[in-house]
Amino acid sequence: MKKKSGIGSRVILALTLLFFYLPIFYIILFSFNDSRSLTKFGGFSLRWYEKMFSDSTMMEAVFYTVIIAVLATVISTVVGTVTAIGLSKSKKIVQTMVERVNDLPVMNPEIVTAISLLMFFSILSVRKGFGTLLIAHIMFCIPYVMLSVTPKLRSLDPNLIDAAMDLGATPFQALIKVIVPQIRPGIISGALIAFTMSFDDFIISYFVTGNGVNNISILVYTMSKRVNPSINALSTIVILLITLALGIVNVVPILREKNVDKEKRFSPSRKTMAVVSGVLVVAIVGTIIGGSLSAQRKRQSAIDRYGSDTLKLYLPGEYIGEDLISNFENQFGVKVIVENFDSNEMMYTKLQAGDAYDVLIPSDYMIERLMSGGYLQKLDLSRIPNLDNLSDAVQNMDYDPDNTWSVPYFWGSVGLVYNHEAIDPSVLEKEGWEVLRDTDYAGRIYVYDSERDSFMMAFKALGYSMNTDDPVEINAAYNWLREMNNTMSPVYVTDEVIDSMMAGYKDIAVVYSGDATVILDENEDMSFFMPEEGTNIWCDAMVIPANAENPLLAHEFINYTLTYEASFDNSETVGYASPNAEVLEEMSGSEDLYAENEAYLPRSDGEMDEMFHDNRTLQKELSKLWIKVKAEK
Amino acid sequence: MKQFRSMTYPYVAWISIIIVAPMLLIVLYAFSVSGNDVLTIQFTFDNFVRFVTDSVFMEVLLRSLYIAVITTLICILLGYPIAYVIAQLPSRGNTLCILLITMPTWVNMLVRTYAWMGILQDEGIFNTILGFFGIGPIPMIHTSFAVILGMVYNFLPFMILQIHTSLAKMDKSLLEAASDLGAAPATAFLRVTLPLSLPGVISGITLVFLPAVSSFFIPKLLGGGQFVLVGNIIETQFLTTGDWNFGSAISLIMAIIIMLSMWLTRKVDVQVASRGKE
Repeated sequence: MKKKSGIGSRVILALTLLFFYLPIFYIILFSFNDSRSLTKFGGFSLRWYEKMFSDSTMMEAVFYTVIIAVLATVISTVVGTVTAIGLSKSKKIVQTMVERVNDLPVMNPEIVTAISLLMFFSILSVRKGFGTLLIAHIMFCIPYVMLSVTPKLRSLDPNLIDAAMDLGATPFQALIKVIVPQIRPGIISGALIAFTMSFDDFIISYFVTGNGVNNISILVYTMSKRVNPSINALSTIVILLITLALGIVNVVPILREKNVDKEKRFSPSRKTMAVVSGVLVVAIVGTIIGGSLSAQRKRQSAIDRYGSDTLKLYLPGEYIGEDLISNFENQFGVKVIVENFDSNEMMYTKLQAGDAYDVLIPSDYMIERLMSGGYLQKLDLSRIPNLDNLSDAVQNMDYDPDNTWSVPYFWGSVGLVYNHEAIDPSVLEKEGWEVLRDTDYAGRIYVYDSERDSFMMAFKALGYSMNTDDPVEINAAYNWLREMNNTMSPVYVTDEVIDSMMAGYKDIAVVYSGDATVILDENEDMSFFMPEEGTNIWCDAMVIPANAENPLLAHEFINYTLTYEASFDNSETVGYASPNAEVLEEMSGSEDLYAENEAYLPRSDGEMDEMFHDNRTLQKELSKLWIKVKAEK
Repeated sequence: MKQFRSMTYPYVAWISIIIVAPMLLIVLYAFSVSGNDVLTIQFTFDNFVRFVTDSVFMEVLLRSLYIAVITTLICILLGYPIAYVIAQLPSRGNTLCILLITMPTWVNMLVRTYAWMGILQDEGIFNTILGFFGIGPIPMIHTSFAVILGMVYNFLPFMILQIHTSLAKMDKSLLEAASDLGAAPATAFLRVTLPLSLPGVISGITLVFLPAVSSFFIPKLLGGGQFVLVGNIIETQFLTTGDWNFGSAISLIMAIIIMLSMWLTRKVDVQVASRGKE
């Protein structure tokens, strides 16, 4: 009977581990993928490892992640355990209250906790960075520890402590020698969960950190914007490091026990103490080293010229040339702190909370909002002589015709990427946006999951302006989208569309032009099409916030970005159209660059093309309708 | 035991500052007119009215609860036997297994979910294997199956950890006593082991159900956006629409509903626990 159950349990364990490790093997495999895809294998290569190790921000992020996770785990495990023990002896009402409050961070969507902390820190005007990040992590880790420890305490015999104290133990001794050993499994699992939560947290970390302190999750999230397989390489390295660390932690005590066996046996509690204090020492030393690293040597000449040697740049993820930052840093003897955002609104949220940056790169409509909200400062155009390099295509933008507030950074369009092996180009030319409602292609389309872009195509397909606030037109667009949703079974995607279209999983997708450039580069069956009915021609531009700490250096950066060298690097890396006339001509003219790639150059003669204007009431209305479209079955 | 009570005071102070106070801001947003400036608050019920009057939001909330309940149930059904098997192992294997199960959670969730996206594609591993048997391809990605699979994958380790904790170091003499008194192994399990492990199961439910209701990335990536869940709506309100007030209101409503359901679950726990003591 023993044997039979043994086989049964082995099968269960094997299947469990297979389930848990299947994606992990997948990640490791794809970290060696030669192609850029995260889901299709194209041969063996180490290029993503090369890319990762050459990227110092990644190494920095690993460092911060580990330090924060270790500190948060140790602190929250100690505090959580002590509190749980105290709580088990407290009045029922106190117990319930604390338990309910503890549920909040576990239950609330991360974004809610994140926003509440963001606003809280900004009311207290705390400088965001390592400290706030650690506080937040401790905050949401402790409830997990308590949730793990409490059930163990509950099954504990209440007479145990009395017995210990009757036998002469002090309360502290009773705690350490009697209770803690009894609840150890709970403490360990609490610590494991706390570590996991801290290690893997993205949204809360994103909003409470600042000043260049990033963790792996923030980086991974940013990188996933452009399907950067270095995230697989990074994950593989993390797995390797963890395995090594666990191996050492598990093996060293065994070896040591063998050596010390005859002299003195390592008592379990001493062993734990040794591990905990060892970890603490490592963490503290690491923090100090890290602190002094980031404090770094000040560059005197830059301080003399600009008043400070640091520039804080806040821009969308994967939106800058590979060498632009390091070239700028070397040329001007300064340090650039880069932070990334996922959407204009995410950036706006951080600005509202009072976070200070020197240069932002928002989109057209958001620049309108920032201007009217008084968030920007006027540019000193005499400090930006390279403004002369601007292409005609990005002169006289609606939102800021004279470049009083902003200088263009990238511009582009929204269009359809389609598989020309599966769909004849003439079909698209005939149907335009309507192809998304042509049931011949049902189940084969990706639609961009944003109210702004979806309503844009519906408005354009119906021949309206995409800035309309006429209820009749809005309703017509709503019905257009509903019919698409109900007849085409579209898949709604955002950044993952890049990977999916590179792999060619579906035949048509709504895509931003720069993302399309990347897709077309990777998969030659794909083509790009801008419907005649009109589309969104947009422009992202550099602005300087009113509360910038270093406006002089900010002007220098804007001016540098307009140089041929920097613009070329930007456009080549990211794939969006350059605002620099010379670069634009070269990119769209040379066959080695983007001449053959129809997604690169947006059209500037489309009569029906438009730019978005800031209209928040309209956006709220569209957002609600868009939820209704998607939620309908 | 009065000495121990004072150990809770620092934590009570801490949560009042760092959890309750920031949460009050969210309550404030939920009851105020748009505009996020803390200084100019205008009281309103509109955000709640908007939620209640449009059936779509209620539908989405119910769907989220439904998916979270299914996820939690599957996690219990899978997690309990796994935790049980692990708890029976000798202590070294025990620790190793728990570490092996936790380790994958240290790889970024987004990266793991991307991996599942690849695995579940029509050209993915599952469908390739099925193809050898002449079956399929069965569409898996962008189905409710994919969403629930992704959630179970993500949350199962927590369930296993919690149940394992309550099974580990369980007083074996209780089981021996039960069998001495003539209980069959199955009866002993039902009458002794199961009730003793129940607090762990409840903790596990808390750790799986609560985050599952509001999860965001998994339904988005594996469900292909067709599975609009309440987490997605809240996320959108804060990050794309920029309507913090409505976002706050939805999350409050969700919190209240979840609190109620957890209160019911814990009542079961208390009842069983008190029965055990008698």
